[in-house]
Amino acid sequence: MNKLILGRYLPGDSLIYKLDPRGKFLITFYFIGIVFLANNVLSYGFLLLFVLFAVYLSKINLGFFLKGLRPMFWLILFTVLLQMFFTPSNDPLWSFGILTLSKEGMIISAYIFVRFVLIIFVSTLLTLTTTPIEISDSIESILKPLKAIKFPVTQVALMLSIALRFVPLLIDETTKIMDAQRARGVDFGEGGLIKRIKSFVPILIPLFVSSFSIAYDLAIAMESRGYKDGEGRSKYRILKWEKRDTVAAIVMILITIILLMIRSY
Amino acid sequence: MDNIISIRDITYTYPESGSPAIDHLSLDVKSNEWLSIVGKNGSGKSTLTKLIDGLIEADSGTIEIDGQIINEDNIWEARKKIGIIFQNPDHQFVGATVEDDVAFGLENQGVPRPEMVEEVNHALDMVDMLPYKTRDPQSLSGGQKQRVAIAGVLATKPQIIIMDESTSMLDPKGRKTVLDLVKRLRDEQDMTIISITHDIEETQLSERIVIIDDGKVVKDGLPEVIYDLGSELTKFGLEEPFSSKLAQSLRTDFKLPEGFLNEEELVNSIWKLSSKM
Repeated sequence: MNKLILGRYLPGDSLIYKLDPRGKFLITFYFIGIVFLANNVLSYGFLLLFVLFAVYLSKINLGFFLKGLRPMFWLILFTVLLQMFFTPSNDPLWSFGILTLSKEGMIISAYIFVRFVLIIFVSTLLTLTTTPIEISDSIESILKPLKAIKFPVTQVALMLSIALRFVPLLIDETTKIMDAQRARGVDFGEGGLIKRIKSFVPILIPLFVSSFSIAYDLAIAMESRGYKDGEGRSKYRILKWEKRDTVAAIVMILITIILLMIRSY
Repeated sequence: MDNIISIRDITYTYPESGSPAIDHLSLDVKSNEWLSIVGKNGSGKSTLTKLIDGLIEADSGTIEIDGQIINEDNIWEARKKIGIIFQNPDHQFVGATVEDDVAFGLENQGVPRPEMVEEVNHALDMVDMLPYKTRDPQSLSGGQKQRVAIAGVLATKPQIIIMDESTSMLDPKGRKTVLDLVKRLRDEQDMTIISITHDIEETQLSERIVIIDDGKVVKDGLPEVIYDLGSELTKFGLEEPFSSKLAQSLRTDFKLPEGFLNEEELVNSIWKLSSKM
């Protein structure tokens, strides 16, 4: 479980960390959107430089971002190869049956590769520099307008933060159960597919039972501390929008304008 | 002293069980008292906690808290007066950081933020956990987690603190710090403490001990009186206190004073014996 970089938080203290999580969250999605505006070498190069600059600002080792690419490796390879060999062309460099290799195909697949790297780097940057709880806070404040259509925003936010709070607890619980079952002779990750699936039953059932009992205990503890229904509560954690967040937003607008100028029509 | 809690003849049966968990139980708790409720597993101790806090509703009988009989309308008011520290520290955290968790009770009461910040810092300072403010609760030790839970209870300033086997999952050192802390707080803040436990050694700080068995109060008295029951305690699934066991085995060969001796008294009488020899 510690191999997965995507979705993990890395404690740190650089400029990117200090940005308002709501801003970071929206900017990340916005950036993923404008990646699709790029359509030539210049625009892709520009975006790549920008992302590398952001990575530099975060002061996180580039290695973490490369590790973030790893789980997507096969998808990237598959897409790139597909583009490389199946782009129709009038001037193929090489062709065999339906496979064609051309200059255009190679350029398009390079673009797609860069596009993957951009999107994965930016989303890794968001999760590495933002704590899960900050992410859930920003989701709450972004969803706030939905209150108008009676969407239970506060409850959903509490649900999210409790879920996030229990991820490490449940991981601990899983490891403990696995060790306990190993001590009784269960062999995980051995044998054929069916046998492996079956060996997960002694983990899953106790895990379900214990998560329900944790949920019960927690509900009792919450109620005894005066939790009613999420309405009329004040908030301890506040998010503060500062000058640097405005600057970050302006930078994004500038990038969009530059991108629109250098993209080919 | 006034009764802060008076329980009159309550009965409660769990829906899935045939026999009552609490059986015509009556109990008074005085204001500023340290009361220990002991009993073996399944004697109804935890059910009693939940009844007092209105987390479950009694089938019959009444519970009065601070002069008010609790019912559906005033339960939230009554709950503000009671803080509970539960057994498993892992299962009572709501917040993702220590300060968030301490603030949870205040958030529920709608306390404005500037006040909350002050209260949270004050409560964490009282339990000596201020340096851990921004930590993830998962990264703390068991004793520290219970201290944070106590801070969460203190922040809302209850009059009554119920410890529902709060120290049973801690090591001896963690247990000692938590109990010392509660004692100090009671002396400073004039609170009522109800401590629920199955370990008789943990009742040494209390002023009164109630033994419950099968949902009924079977003994109610001063610690000396309860400890003096000696081997009769085993009938209720409890262990004799260590000093009482030691005194018992010494009495066969030496002439020790009658009645219960706490550790200090036992040490003194042994010294006296040795100086006579």
